[in-house]
This record gives sequence, C-alpha cells and structure tokens, in this order.
Amino acid sequence: MVKVLMVIPDRCTGCGRCEEACSLYHFNVIDPLLSAIHVVRIENEPVDAPVFCIQCGLCGIPGICPENAIYRDPNTFSVIIDRDRCTGCGNCVAACPYGVITIDRIERKAIKCDLCGGDPQCVKACPENALVYVEAEDAAYYKRIFFAKLQRKELVPIVPYPSPKPAGDS
Amino acid sequence: MEEWHGYTGNVLRVDLGRGKVVIEKLDRAWPKLYVGGLGFASKVMWDEEPPKVDPLSKESLLIATAGPMTGTLAPGSGNIFWAFKSPQTGFWGETRSGGKFGAFMKYSGFDMIIIRGRSERPVYLYLEDCKAEIRDATHLWGMTVHEATNAIKEEVGAKEVSVAAIGPAGENLVRYASIINDYDRAAGRSGGGAVMGSKQLKAIVASGGCGIRVYDPERFLSLCYEAQRAITSDSGNMVMGMHGTIGGVMSLNAMGGLPTQNFRTGYFENAYRVSSDALERNYMIKRRACHSCVIGCSRYSYVSSGKYATPPNEGPEYETVDMAGPMALNDNMEAIIRFNYLANNYGMDTITLGHTISWAIEAYELGMINENDTGGLKLRWGDADTFLTLVDMIAYRRGFGNLLAEGSYVASKRIGRGTEELVNHVKGLELPAHDPRAESKFLAIQYAIGPRGACHEHPIYPSYDLMGVDAGMREVGLPWPLPDRLEEVGVNRGKAYRIIALFGEVINSMGYCNFYAATVAKGSLNPSRIARLYSSLTGIEMNAREIFEAAERTWNIKRAFNLREGLEKAHDSLPKRMTTPILSGPSKGLKVEKPKELVEEAYEAFGWDKETGYIKESTLQRLSLREVLEGLKSIGKVA
Repeated sequence: MVKVLMVIPDRCTGCGRCEEACSLYHFNVIDPLLSAIHVVRIENEPVDAPVFCIQCGLCGIPGICPENAIYRDPNTFSVIIDRDRCTGCGNCVAACPYGVITIDRIERKAIKCDLCGGDPQCVKACPENALVYVEAEDAAYYKRIFFAKLQRKELVPIVPYPSPKPAGDS
Repeated sequence: MEEWHGYTGNVLRVDLGRGKVVIEKLDRAWPKLYVGGLGFASKVMWDEEPPKVDPLSKESLLIATAGPMTGTLAPGSGNIFWAFKSPQTGFWGETRSGGKFGAFMKYSGFDMIIIRGRSERPVYLYLEDCKAEIRDATHLWGMTVHEATNAIKEEVGAKEVSVAAIGPAGENLVRYASIINDYDRAAGRSGGGAVMGSKQLKAIVASGGCGIRVYDPERFLSLCYEAQRAITSDSGNMVMGMHGTIGGVMSLNAMGGLPTQNFRTGYFENAYRVSSDALERNYMIKRRACHSCVIGCSRYSYVSSGKYATPPNEGPEYETVDMAGPMALNDNMEAIIRFNYLANNYGMDTITLGHTISWAIEAYELGMINENDTGGLKLRWGDADTFLTLVDMIAYRRGFGNLLAEGSYVASKRIGRGTEELVNHVKGLELPAHDPRAESKFLAIQYAIGPRGACHEHPIYPSYDLMGVDAGMREVGLPWPLPDRLEEVGVNRGKAYRIIALFGEVINSMGYCNFYAATVAKGSLNPSRIARLYSSLTGIEMNAREIFEAAERTWNIKRAFNLREGLEKAHDSLPKRMTTPILSGPSKGLKVEKPKELVEEAYEAFGWDKETGYIKESTLQRLSLREVLEGLKSIGKVA
C-alpha cells in the first residue's frame, strides 16, 4: 500500500534537521533554502512546525504548469516537478495552498517534495520521531483525528437541525 | 582554486570606525593547525589584538566564529562562539550560544566575522548571499532584545533570518552583558555584549543564501544518521532531553552540591519548589532544540498571571535557576522564570547577575554594606521582588544597580570593607552553580586555570569522575578508571584533566555542544566519531590524535594570550570560600584541601612551569607555535 508522510505536531522541537537532510540528499548542499520541508519556528510563540507538501496535486492540475512538467509518481503517489522542463515561472508556487513549493535562487527552478522516491530523509533525520511515514490506511485514521481536533473549540453546524416533529405526535 | 567543504572559506572583516567590510579567503593551512571555531579565534586574537588594550575601546576585537561542523547535519552542531578580551576579567573572553545563528552565519557565507573599530552611530550588520552590509540602527538603540529582533524581522520582510543582538545592558556597558541570538539563546558569560555595545553594534542579522558544501555527501549522511541513532538511544541523553539541565537541581541537592546562599552551603531545603518537576507541571509549554540538536534540552515556559507574569520564552535552565533561586534562598519558581526572561531580554549573563545580587545580599546581611549604599533598598535572603527590581536597576545602571553592573569582583574592590572576602570568583568571573568542594576536583582545577575564569563549561563540563563516563576519551589516553571525585593529588588528576580540557577544545573548535560529550563512548560524539564526521564533511583527513594536537595548540595560545595580558600564577587560584567547609547538608564539611597542589599538577601535565605557570619552551616547540614563543620571549614569560 502507498505510504503517507505525516507529522505528530507536539513532538517537533524545531531543530531543523529535516531541512538539512532534505537539501543534502537532493542537492549535496546543506541549505534550508534548498529544502522542500520547512520548519517554521516562531520564537516568541510556542510554534515549531514542520510544513511540507501533502501531495494534494493542486499544482498538477491542467492549466497551472505551462510546461506540463508536473506529474504524479505511480509508485509513491507523490507529485513530482520535472526540473529539466521547469522554467521557474512560479505558477505552481502561486497555486500551492501551503507555501511549500519554492524557487531555488541558483537554477531558478521549482523545489518540491518528492518523498525521496519512497525513503523520506526527513523522517530519518528527525530525532523526535515527529515525522512519520505511515501506511495510507493508518494515515487516514490520523487525518480524521487531525480534522476532528480542528472542530474542538467551537460548535460547527455540520449536523442538520432536528426535523420538525411528525404530525399527530402529541 | 579548489572549493571548500564544510567550511565556507570566507572570513568577514568589519571595520565599524571606517564603515567598511572586506571579505577575505580563509587560510588553507588553518584547518589542520587550529580546526576552526575558537581555534581560529585564538589565532586571530593572538596575532591582531593589541596587548593590554582596553576591551571597551575601539582598538579591541570582537570575533564571531563557527566551527566546520556548525550548520551541518552532524548532531549538536548548531553553535556560535564569540571571542574577545573580557571586560569582566581583563583576560581571554569566550562564550558560546546555541540557537540557529551560527548555522545561519555559515549559510550566509562566513566562517568567522572579525569586528573592530567603533561606529559613530548605532548600526547593525546584515549578512546575505556571501555579502555583508552595515545598516543604520539608530531606531533600534534602546530596545530590548525581543523588541529589536521583532523590529529587524519586520524590516527584513518575507525572509527567514537569525538575529544576534544586544539589549539595554550591552548598550549601557554592563560588564557582564550578553549577546543574545534568536530571542532567548544567550552567549552569556565574560561580557561579550558590553564589547559589542562599546562598538555601537546593535545586532548581526544572518539570512543565509549560500549553503554549505559537503565533501562526501553519501558517507556524511550515513555517518550522521548513525551518530544520531547512537546519541538518541543513550539513556543519559534521553534524561537531558526529557528534563533539561534543570533536572540537575534535585540530584545535586541530594548530594549536597547545590550552591546555596552565596556558596555558604550546598543544600537547599526548598529545592523541590524550583525543580524540573515544578517547572514541567506548572509552567512548561514544550521542549525546544537548538539547530541540528538531537537532544533538545531547552525548556519553553511562561507564567500566565500574577505579579511574575511572563510571556512564553526559552528557559530557565539549571544555572539560572540556581543563581536566582537557592543562591538567594528564593524558592519562587515564577520569579525565577521572570528573572530569566528579564535577563535575556535586557541581555545579561544570568550567572554573574544572580551571583552578584546574592553577594550583595550577603554583604548587606553582614553589615558590610547598608542602606546608604543601596539607596534605601533593604536586601534580604529570599526576597524575590527586590531581586527583580535590582535586575532592572542593573540593566539601566540606575542607583545601586550602577555599582552591581560592574559585577561582584569590581564592585567589592570599590566598596572594600571586607566584601572582597565574599566574592566567589576566579580572575574576576563569578563561579557558576557547580561546587568543586562537593562535586568533583576536576572542577577545582578548571575553575582555577580555565582561560576565561571560573567556568563549568569552558572548555568543557569536566566532572567525568562524578558522571562515571569517559565519552570515548580513553582512546586518546584518558587514565581509566578515574580517581574518586573527592580525591585530590597523587591520583593522576592533572594528566586526566589535560585530556578532558583538550577534548573541550576539540568540541569548541569543531562547533559542537558540550552536552554531546557527557555520556559513555557509544552515546556521545567520541573522538573517533568526531574525526570520521569531520573528514567526510571537509575532505581533510585528520585522525583523533591530530585533532587533539590542534586543540592543544588553541589551549596554549589562550594561555599565552592571558600571559601577555599580565596573568601570573596568583590569578589561577580559587576563592576563599572553596577552601572553607560547606556549612550544612549531605556534603557538610567538604572543601578543596590542596588547591595549590591541584593547580601545579595540572600545570605539569600541560607542560607549563610548576612555579610560575608560564608555558615551557619545549611545549611551544612541540606544538610548533614559533610566533607565540617569540612573543612570550619578548616579555620574558617563557619557562
């Protein structure tokens, strides 16, 4: 079964090792600006969060990439940008809702998570096991918990209002 | 020209007086001779710092330096080191900080920044893409560290930057002002912030853009993963990550080594109130880690309400807790968290700050100072409010705070009346919260001869006899088993300390954190692991023995620097309280019995003269430090 890259948010300490491993693996250089995963730390707030591509495929829908250089890898299910064809136009950057596609400043081409072909280095480099690469079915369970937690604070009107009492009921 | 790996290969020279920046190439011979980090800094300081210069004058240097491993995937490598002449001691000043500034400085393209001169108006230094520029900081002057960092981030815009800044304490030349990077990470001791303030340099901002090339990426990546697995599965490191350094409060108290009441005793009844347990249960939000760290000892905490309400910030760690807690008999955790926040935000060394106030309280109790000196303030043990008031007064040099801003050593010289006897210092630097009487006699040696004065972390935390681990030093000649922690002379202590101190220099030159050398060989950055990581990163082949030789060079240059500044054997002595028995608790009655013999044994191990403390000619020749030898000969300080 396909696997999914996920984060356990409480665990991240913001060390940035995932960024280093990512850039080293893909570019042989250690540079957070060349990483496809981004650890956002807000120093004066309790925020240390790895932000990365969830492989939604929005950047790959027709009409966004003028070179049609974005496709889905059938093995890992990751959405891949073919850097040989990329012209660095930035359309995919604009389309990405999570801000995890960037243009590198050397070659001016898009950088995006490719799940390292099914062996994500960020998972290996994470000392806290905050990043995990799990089976899709398990991932679905955790995704449900995640979205459930979003609904924790306020009532969200997703339940239909009670229907009127049936006629004749006293 | 061959490319650099691991190193960026660039050294930035900044002359603030002329408003000029120059980028130089790193000398190809230096890595093998000095490795990097404080190794490079010691070489530059020896060559370029004018002898006997006033550290706060425009001729003095301020050096920011990162090691070859800094900013790489090697575990625990996210460190920045600063070197300067200390305004607190008048001798060698060095300090280390974690966070991500060191890494970002290297990503911006620089291994080292050498700053000299004094700017006419406040400025900050901006680094990006292997370029640097000096920018106006008039609008930032007067701001606290957090305010200035926020303002700079806003100014820079949509970029990830790291900021190292000084606060009001540095601007006001408080002698123990710190340089604070990434909001709360402190390059605390020795007064680097005052040196930076004297140059009218408010901050250094690093935004990256260059990255670090790796010589053998595949091998380096697998070595890093291997090291990471070994270090994270070690139980000692796990405990450090789980409870942080503040975990030491209860264990040191249990053995009677928790410095209390200005080092009168080593036991504090209410220690449980300022323990890691108290912090974690009530105030801690999460753990944090410095750049590339796999341990993650940093606490992130806050106080939600009440008179000590404090916004979320990193800390407090063990030293801060002890200096603001047991040392002043204060058992209020909230006040300690507030103290830590204020000290960081004003940019002051929490150790000297807390220690100085505790000294003042003791002097007040004994009637050596009174309300005429303090401007009406009543100083009492356990009075957290006055303690915090003094923090404000010191940062802005108001009233009695103006005197305390000099540190207890200088302040006691000004006051006299016997207060000198109460100062716990070596070379003018106050003792940190580790008591050599109860903990380990290695500490006694390090406090006495350490180049920057009494310090438990520079070059390294030396209590390996207490911890019962070797961190792999046996392979480079550490005598094993180590003597009992309380045994003093005739037990190979000098010889053992030599290896321990040099290992510290290795760590400081490489850019690592000392906490990676505090467990068994397998779970730490042991010498051979360091050598393997270094070679695969830089492509420069060096084995553990060669790295230790480079470290010994650094260690001796620092000694030579101090000798040139006027160091004599008398400076290498412990304060009176260390030879006075501990008053109460489990370690009651313990003291350092033979301070002189301990120091002399270490001298001999390092190849220094037993009678004078000068470096022997043969030692300098063995390390091929010819220029240092000539320099010392010209002032007649070679044995």
